[in-house]
Amino acid sequence: MKRRIKAYLPFTINELKRQMAYKGAFYLFILVKMFGAFINYYLWMAIYGSTNQNTLGGLTQGEMVIYIFMAYLTGTIVTVSVSNWVSEDVVQGTVAMNLIKPIDYRMSLISRASGDMIYQFLVPSVFIWIGLEIYRAAVPGLPPFSAEKVLFYLVSTVLSFLIYVLFDFCFGMIAFFTTYIFGLMMVKQALIAFLTGQLIPISFFPEAVQRVFDFLPFSSMVYTPVMIYLGKYTGNKLFFMLLRQAAWVVLLYLFGSLIWRKVTKRLVILGG
Amino acid sequence: MIEVSHVTKDFVMPKKYPGLRGAIKGLFSNEKTVKRAVDDISFQIGQGEIVGYIGSNGAGKSTTIKIMTGILSPSDGTCFVAGIDPNRRRKENAQNIGVVFGQRTQLWWDLPLSESFTILKEIYNVSDQAYREQMEFLNQVLELSAFFDKPVRTLSLGQRMRADLGAALLHNPKVLYLDEPTIGLDLVVKDNIRRAIREINEKYKTTVVLTTHDIGDIEELCSRIIIIDEGKKIYDGSLEALKDTYGTKRTLSLEVKQIQKASGFSPAEILGVREEECITELDFENSLLKITFDGHKLQAPQILSTVMNEIEITDIQLKETELAEIVKEIYRHGTEGE
Ligand SMILES: Nc1ncnc2c1ncn2[C@@H]1O[C@H](COP(=O)(O)OP(=O)(O)O)[C@@H](O)[C@H]1O
Ligand SMILES: [Mg+2]
Repeated sequence: MKRRIKAYLPFTINELKRQMAYKGAFYLFILVKMFGAFINYYLWMAIYGSTNQNTLGGLTQGEMVIYIFMAYLTGTIVTVSVSNWVSEDVVQGTVAMNLIKPIDYRMSLISRASGDMIYQFLVPSVFIWIGLEIYRAAVPGLPPFSAEKVLFYLVSTVLSFLIYVLFDFCFGMIAFFTTYIFGLMMVKQALIAFLTGQLIPISFFPEAVQRVFDFLPFSSMVYTPVMIYLGKYTGNKLFFMLLRQAAWVVLLYLFGSLIWRKVTKRLVILGG
Repeated sequence: MIEVSHVTKDFVMPKKYPGLRGAIKGLFSNEKTVKRAVDDISFQIGQGEIVGYIGSNGAGKSTTIKIMTGILSPSDGTCFVAGIDPNRRRKENAQNIGVVFGQRTQLWWDLPLSESFTILKEIYNVSDQAYREQMEFLNQVLELSAFFDKPVRTLSLGQRMRADLGAALLHNPKVLYLDEPTIGLDLVVKDNIRRAIREINEKYKTTVVLTTHDIGDIEELCSRIIIIDEGKKIYDGSLEALKDTYGTKRTLSLEVKQIQKASGFSPAEILGVREEECITELDFENSLLKITFDGHKLQAPQILSTVMNEIEITDIQLKETELAEIVKEIYRHGTEGE
């Protein structure tokens, strides 16, 4: 096992290096995304301002601020677009080049995605997080900082990352059948922002819809870790939520293996 | 080392119709076209052999290579490389083989070449000691050091091909597959690549399977060739045997003093053989008399003395049929015959 991890480590390190090399584009990207988070922020502040209720969807105004930015931050860390790489590999015919090596294709993608995740965590996220902690300390009525919650949040985020990447790998398999999946990717992105709770906390949806979401992996990708961070899940409920995430990891892993076996059986790699 | 038996590969594609209406029709139809790329091919290759796998474009060479590397599964038949079924146990097989696809690279495009080698060292679990030794050897035969620190995307085609060959050899594979490794290269680089292949083969007894359109590669490297056409094997044997069977035509080029004298001259008639066994052509411009004859039936001195009895000669040249022409000839037979 040790040897296997060593074999995949270069993919992680490389991706980290690559990201650092493209800093310029990356900061622009963050700025655009941050802009979206701020629009969301002003929107919600206007909503809270126009009602005389203290909490909406179970969140106070202060909690909502943390929710918006934490969801944004978690979203950037977690959603590493593995399907993009798969489709690139299919279009350029480099899948074959991966298959001649004694490595697992999916593992190499996950390792590469880890590099991306670490980078996104180190560069923008930590700073936004510190900002949020200051906000939390300054605004009265918010629960105090708790190392335990942060720890559980981090565990949950790693699980979220695995869920997303394993899911996106399955999605990327479509590329083997249609080659160009960019249109579908746009649709996926919009749906993900909605279904994961990045745009609207899932607690705002009607009960029935929430029940349906319970049977989909998406809420486990962003909503769960953020709610853990906010201290909404404790005791057994927290344990259950983490367990559910772990279950999704296992399920999507098995599903991905199944599809991959199917794909490689009928794999038709571009000529040459 | 390699055992391929009755391997067949069919590519199934949805049937396409022309035009817009055709595209719509195609959406709703379930009709499939089947392309048989490899058709019941069998061969065995022993350790240390260098085998030239040749055939015209679309003959099924790359498809066979992909089956032997484990990338594609055969539709029928079995394939074993060093005792392993490459498609079933792809990763294990990958540890035993090195592959170069001339039109693709397995290197990391954005990274310096040195980093690609460091990554491959980890992927193939090459020990530090083995890495140092192999790098030294590869540097010596492929001269990689001159561009070892440059990003792969800045390398010239020749440099990249040397780098790719080096990358395929880093883990010292038992079998090396080369799919058109010299395509588009100039003579100096071709020579370098060929020398490297020969040295690797001599040093480690590496089995090499090589597809190429370059007859020079074959003549310099391969003791055995397999020819396929339209997915079928049409020749498997030594290069000499091939030349013996097919390459019996020889051409005698004679420069004569007075070409007019040669018109109407027919050595076939004088020697008592059929016309097609000894064809005479006249080139008035260069005062050349060209006689193409069957090497099994006639000897060059025989013809020469016949000519010299009649005509005064100033220069002589004897040419064997080129391998390229032999191969072309075989393709013609392969597609006509059966
Ligand atoms: N992925 C594929 N899908 C459909 N047909 C293919 C595919 N790859 C190869 N073929 C067909 O199979 C035949 C053999 O191809 P290939 O093995 O690449 O030939 P070669 O390498 O000898 O030029 C060709 O007719 C080609 O069009
Ligand atoms: Mg080919």
